[in-house]
Amino acid sequence: MADKRESVRIKDGQQLRILDEAARRRRQRKALEALEQDNFSEDPHADLKMSKKAPKFEEVMETASTSGPKKKRKSRGDFKLRYRKSFAALLEEEHMLNKDGPSYVTACAPPSKFPDRHFCAVCGFPSAYTCVQCGARYCSVKCLGTHQDTRCLKWTA
Amino acid sequence: MYLLLALQKALACQLSVPSRASSYPLRPRVSSALSTAAQSVTVEIPPIKAVDNIQATIKPAELNFKMATLILDNGAGTAKVGFSTDTEPRIIPNCVTKAKNVRTRIFIGDQIDECKDLSSLYYLLPFQKGFLVNWEIEKQVWDHMFSKDVCQVDFNETTVIVTEPFFNFPSVGEAINEVIFEEYQFQSLHRTQAPTLSCYKHQKDKETSGSLFGTLVVESGYSFSHLVPFLKNKPLKEAIVRVNVGGKVLTNHLKEVISYRQLMVMDETYVINQMKEDVCYVSTRFNKDMQIARLKGPLNTITRDYILPDYTHIKRGHVRPPEDSGKSKGDEQMIRMNNERFSVPELLFKPSDVGIQEMGISESIMHCLSLVETELAPHLLNNVLVTGGNALLPGLQDRLYQDVRSMACDDYDVGISTPKNPITYPWHAGCDFSLDPNFPSMCVSKHEYEEHGHNICSQKFNVSSTSPS
Ligand SMILES: [Zn+2]
Ligand SMILES: [Zn+2]
Repeated sequence: MADKRESVRIKDGQQLRILDEAARRRRQRKALEALEQDNFSEDPHADLKMSKKAPKFEEVMETASTSGPKKKRKSRGDFKLRYRKSFAALLEEEHMLNKDGPSYVTACAPPSKFPDRHFCAVCGFPSAYTCVQCGARYCSVKCLGTHQDTRCLKWTA
Repeated sequence: MYLLLALQKALACQLSVPSRASSYPLRPRVSSALSTAAQSVTVEIPPIKAVDNIQATIKPAELNFKMATLILDNGAGTAKVGFSTDTEPRIIPNCVTKAKNVRTRIFIGDQIDECKDLSSLYYLLPFQKGFLVNWEIEKQVWDHMFSKDVCQVDFNETTVIVTEPFFNFPSVGEAINEVIFEEYQFQSLHRTQAPTLSCYKHQKDKETSGSLFGTLVVESGYSFSHLVPFLKNKPLKEAIVRVNVGGKVLTNHLKEVISYRQLMVMDETYVINQMKEDVCYVSTRFNKDMQIARLKGPLNTITRDYILPDYTHIKRGHVRPPEDSGKSKGDEQMIRMNNERFSVPELLFKPSDVGIQEMGISESIMHCLSLVETELAPHLLNNVLVTGGNALLPGLQDRLYQDVRSMACDDYDVGISTPKNPITYPWHAGCDFSLDPNFPSMCVSKHEYEEHGHNICSQKFNVSSTSPS
């Protein structure tokens, strides 16, 4: 079955392509990022004009630019902008302020001392084989076929 | 068999840029009549829902001689909020939600209960990786919680306890101080962490049963899981361990595998999270369960057919009752949960299964013990307390015990307990703590804040990462 697939590929003039280390790492990173995502699709109301929102934002912008950081803040909403920091920015800030001592970074669990387990990327059962082309795991010829037809090299990360 | 048939179809549509052609909830997938798997389906107990309890009834007269205390356990998934005099907190989704089919409004916190169609919800969350970063959203949720719709807070007469994660970033803490005192004008504030509150209550509840020299709190929530060792009531910060797996990762992973194997559900966070709560469990015999899951027909006691809600006839997803199995109604959409039932929660124990190169929570317990004084370790081992939403996964406590027992020294006892409601336990603990004679001295009043700013807060609250106590 796998052979037949191969021959089809070669007939198409395609070489047996092998995903390089960098591409494999990129895929893995994308997969981990996906596990952190809040939403898969875009905001369904993105096309709506929130008439309430626009003036509010301007008001915030104004106060932020005119008042110093330690001055009295009269406008509600000013703090939202001042404290608006991405997680990456917070981490950077922490790194600058707290060089030793326990921190968010030091508290992270270290890698496991036990060996990794491997599961078929298609069916989720324990897998004994690795796809030569992309490094994904599979458990049977059947699952390899599905993998090649769907993800393998068809997935660009 | 069904698996592969489904695969070919489902994949075709998924891979070419998520075309929604044959995905949930638009078009029912014709489920094959092959599914004769009649199993002994035991319907799991539904997850604990927010108790719609009576509003805090603090009469103004009472306030004159006693200030009210509001406890806000501000989780990244849900906030637990209520007055110390309430019997139960309100559990409020800590987010703003937009519904695909409702374009006239947004839903703040638990207003989502007013939405009839919970498919394809879009979430705006104030937290990122467990830390409060978006005040635009959080302010809306807090405004709602403090309003008459939920708690009806009289800010001038109220002390508030707010929880935050361990190693919270200083500027996030400052934002909390500022919002509490300047935007809302609360009278006084105490900031702490949910595990610190849990430890306090746990110690107090078990006081009679002897020495509680140390407690190890395993708090497994939405964004991550923390292992926090306490010497009496003091968290030992240098030995806190965080595993970056929580309920969110589990739900996202489940969405991913179901979308690849069966049906496109990437936009169905709400529905799939509910399914996770309904049918997932932690296995205590992983290899055996894998073998059973391979079996066909009645021998496979793991598999469950989960009927998805369509929000017209079927209001909530549920496991198909055993007597209905095999019969497929043409207009139903179904997910067959097999090894996914236990391989998804497995990520808490083996994050490396998805490439997160970290120890799981059992191994992290052992790691945590290696970081504390040797005399304290056996005390911690014998007094592990599991809290947070993931503690509701059936089998979690047994698996923790099994793993830790196998890794720990034979001479030591292993003791693990889970409170009856691991989600609201820290909130209840906050109620108890507010009655502690030392509590007032650990609060910062509005006056003190106006006088000394953030400094007094970092002195009084046990939240900064550098100060030892
Ligand atoms: Zn397979
Ligand atoms: Zn491959």
